[in-house]
Amino acid sequence: MNEKLQVRNLRISFRTSNGKVQAVRDISFDLAKGETLAIVGESGSGKSVTSKAILGILAGNSIVESGEIIYDGKDLLKISEEDFHKIRGDKIAMIFQDPMSSLNPIVRIGRQLTEAMLLKGKARQRECRATFNGYLKNLNKAMAASNDPARAAEISRNCKKFDKFEFKHIELESAYKKAFEAASENVDDIEKIAFELEKKTVSKGSGDRINDIVKQARDSINDYVISPEHKSEVYSLAGSLASEFAKAKKSLNFDAALKILYRLRDLSKEGIEKKAPNFFCMGYYLTFSGKPLPDMPIDELNKFLHDYIDRDFMLAFIKDAEAALKHSSSVSCDNMRAAIEKLNAARAVYTREKLDKKECYSTCKELAAAVKRCIDILNINKDSLSFTFAPSLKSQIDTYFHAIGANVKAQRAHDRDQRKYDRIVAKGKKPDWEVADAAVTDLELIKENIVRIITRLVDHYDELLANYSSRNFDEETVAVIDFLKANASGVVDKVTRRVAKHRAIKLMDEVGIAEPHKRYKQYPFEFSGGMRQRIVIAIALAANPDILICDEPTTALDVTIQAQILELINNLKEERNLSVIFITHDLGVVANMADRVAVMYAGKIVEYGTSEDIFYHAAHPYTWALLSSMPDLDTDEKLEAIPGTPPNMIYPPKGDAFAPRNKYAMQIDFERQPPMFKISDTHYAATWLLHPDAPKVDPPKAVVDRIRRMNERRATKDE
Amino acid sequence: MSNQETLLKVEHLCQYFKAGNFVTKAVDDVSFDIKKGEVFGLVGESGCGKTTTGRSIIKLYNITSGNVIFKGVRIAAGIQSYKDNIKKAKEDKIPNLSEYVAEQKKLIKEAKYDQKNCDKEYSKKLVAELKAKYEPLIAKASDPAEKQKLTNEYKDELYKAKRTKLVTQIQMIFQDPIASLDPRMTVREIIAEGLIIQGERNKKVIDQKVYEMLELVGLVPEHATRYPHEFSGGQRQRIGVARSIIMQPELIIADEPVSALDVSVQAQVINLLNDLRDRFGLTILFIAHDLSVVKYFSDRIGVMYYGKLVELADSDELFAHPFHPYTKSLLSAIPLPDPIYEKARKRIVYNPLAEHDYTVDKPSLREVSPGHFVQCNEAEYKKIMQELGGNV
Repeated sequence: MNEKLQVRNLRISFRTSNGKVQAVRDISFDLAKGETLAIVGESGSGKSVTSKAILGILAGNSIVESGEIIYDGKDLLKISEEDFHKIRGDKIAMIFQDPMSSLNPIVRIGRQLTEAMLLKGKARQRECRATFNGYLKNLNKAMAASNDPARAAEISRNCKKFDKFEFKHIELESAYKKAFEAASENVDDIEKIAFELEKKTVSKGSGDRINDIVKQARDSINDYVISPEHKSEVYSLAGSLASEFAKAKKSLNFDAALKILYRLRDLSKEGIEKKAPNFFCMGYYLTFSGKPLPDMPIDELNKFLHDYIDRDFMLAFIKDAEAALKHSSSVSCDNMRAAIEKLNAARAVYTREKLDKKECYSTCKELAAAVKRCIDILNINKDSLSFTFAPSLKSQIDTYFHAIGANVKAQRAHDRDQRKYDRIVAKGKKPDWEVADAAVTDLELIKENIVRIITRLVDHYDELLANYSSRNFDEETVAVIDFLKANASGVVDKVTRRVAKHRAIKLMDEVGIAEPHKRYKQYPFEFSGGMRQRIVIAIALAANPDILICDEPTTALDVTIQAQILELINNLKEERNLSVIFITHDLGVVANMADRVAVMYAGKIVEYGTSEDIFYHAAHPYTWALLSSMPDLDTDEKLEAIPGTPPNMIYPPKGDAFAPRNKYAMQIDFERQPPMFKISDTHYAATWLLHPDAPKVDPPKAVVDRIRRMNERRATKDE
Repeated sequence: MSNQETLLKVEHLCQYFKAGNFVTKAVDDVSFDIKKGEVFGLVGESGCGKTTTGRSIIKLYNITSGNVIFKGVRIAAGIQSYKDNIKKAKEDKIPNLSEYVAEQKKLIKEAKYDQKNCDKEYSKKLVAELKAKYEPLIAKASDPAEKQKLTNEYKDELYKAKRTKLVTQIQMIFQDPIASLDPRMTVREIIAEGLIIQGERNKKVIDQKVYEMLELVGLVPEHATRYPHEFSGGQRQRIGVARSIIMQPELIIADEPVSALDVSVQAQVINLLNDLRDRFGLTILFIAHDLSVVKYFSDRIGVMYYGKLVELADSDELFAHPFHPYTKSLLSAIPLPDPIYEKARKRIVYNPLAEHDYTVDKPSLREVSPGHFVQCNEAEYKKIMQELGGNV
């Protein structure tokens, strides 16, 4: 259930003056939390179109013919533009390919970086507040329902308590975090600048950096970082540092300044190594006990606070919450059983020869209500299928009844064209155009789709009911409390202009831009291509997204910067548990980044597997061709280029799209499209070569050689 | 390789750009030479001056100081270094100052003359050769018809020779196949433009040559009447290649010719360049940042870092024994199509301030083993030699 994003049967085409270009033809994949999925293919294979569809920024002439993209209980293909504003950039961010055209040339870099932070900051605060309040309200209701009515008043008081002290806790903690971060940054910064000062080199930005250190030193004063007893010392050190530095700038004799710097560093270091108190408990104690904190060492203090909160409030609250969770899920399970019956019965309505409009819509309404009751509001992981069921069912029914009329029209238009064509042919001329197939919607297919939607939900509910007994409510309760905490912190996390600037400069530093203070005020044209790409990445990361789509982010960059940026994305992925979709044609990069790889060709996924599967046991001839056409450090022989060009997608080929360029192609490749053959649990490929009747074909020599070399290198390394 | 003729020699090339009071040293004291028939790779991160070096060689910029010598003729020369010499001499108040200054001024004059007139000199030489070839022939010819024919031929050749420039024997292939072709010219016009400028007036010859080139680069003559936008990226890059080889250059400066292309198309273009090189004995200065491609394609490789050449060696040697810390960090950053290796790969970070101590002893390019040069100072040189002693 930890799938972040599911793409099902996506089909996208573009209307052009020459005809309909089928850019994406029926692809499905899903993306788990914290996973990197690489999509590999030539330009024009539909990789970028897929990613743009996920972000809802397809060009105006595009048609989404079928499919769904499910994220967070919503189908991204069906939600309104207003709803998309909340997701785009905030939850799903994208790094674009071309840094030249993705930055605004007349706005300073700093403004572009902070713009999203400031806009999204307020929206996020509001959203967190709403989620927190709503969830607590629901929890309160469920608690009361699952409990003795006599305790209702106590329960609602407890919930209010939780609301109140939770914010105190976050305030304390964020103050601590700010001081801690300032201190740990100061240690790094001081070490960097001291190194330079010892070598007696002063660069242009040194003064600014010294000022930063002074500011950070002041920021790092907190009860639990640099304690108040050192407060005056830190202030006097910080005050004299700037003047000492200015004095020494001419003579290049930095001894006095260095002494101050080292003292500051030692203090900061000491502060970082200190143990942090348990702010959660402390928040409760400070809010409700009405007494100041007892004076004791931190370990003892933590224990004392922990006992206090458990005794006073927490144990009871957790018990109630667990009961509430149990209650609400059992209710939803009962509803599910009822819904399954209804769904099964409704199947008959949608499999009739000719659907009855009135009956269809009324059944749809009933089903939607039944499914809505199945949704467990206390479950933090939204059950996507339940949420998307009603809209997708309704849209299919809409399409069906709309298509009945539209089909007649389309058939008429087609007949007219055909007659015109025939007339020209009868005159003995050969027209330079062809009659396009009638744009008729297949009604049977829609009926099948409807049944598929219902069956899928029924299967899903069966599975949920079967798993019900093995659910661990202890863990779920802890998760619920963490969820509430996270939302509360989102409310306190205020983004002001100053904070945004600080964050932007930190981000710029993180993505490897030297002298971020100076660069912050510059315009995009003052940056080189690599630097601009870094800015674009920084902007994408600024909003702290859930899913990051990277559309060839390093194609325009050189190796060292490429390596830095890949490392950066990898680190961020680990830190924030990001899910990444990585689009590229460079297989070396894929090997570095990807957990799983999807190889696309002509709008279809031709091979799908973990990166080990793809690189060591590739099965599709197109993957072989890609692997053998790129040189590595040991390649000496002639490269095997893929002959020809990708097919024109206005007239997609009948069989396997890669067949004309494929030297292993068989007769059947030109006639029928190969299905996905399963090689292992994680590895699938669409090629007739995997059919049991197909002749055995070995991968090309270049690929075999490379795998051998890789194995040898690993063996020598292991020794 | 050492006994081969040197085609291009770059001596102490400097290219500075002034922006207000601030001087950007895009290329700073770079020297190397390229032998006839070899592929010389130039790698480095973006903004390190690889492209500027290429453009300075082909005289797209006026270089600040240093010399570029092509086939023994100085085609570009800068004067900044002489000016600096004079300034320094005046400050130091060296003995016989006036003589020294006069000498430097003479050098400046020569440099200016060469920079301006190298093409003129070359065409003068060609004209003289033609004169020597045709005048006796015309004088000897008795038949008036033949005499007329020879005279016409002589005139035609003379027209061409007067327009011939030495620099046209160096041609460039640009990085972006889309931006480097004029969208309003047909492929024929694009490819033939150079020939026409050089004085080719015979339409038939031009067409024939254009078709020949198109076939050579894997396109068909029918493509000649089309416009660039009708081609895919790989085909466009082929047009760029055809445009440069129609001039029958001796040296091609390929400025990231495959960076903007897909892997499969990349292989096509690299194979094409390799074929052409075997066929015409072309010499190529290959500028790129994809080290796997450079390694595959080049005989020798120069590594640049912030306008300086930090290491120069045969490609196998460079990848087997890198000495400069920047080269090491660069090599550690190459991604390979091998997931298990990739996940274990550690990148070496290069920090010039921590790595070198150049406060006392300034670095220079020194030869550590035959054909292998490293930018280092005395202490580092000793260290490298020690390492080498251990290795050998």
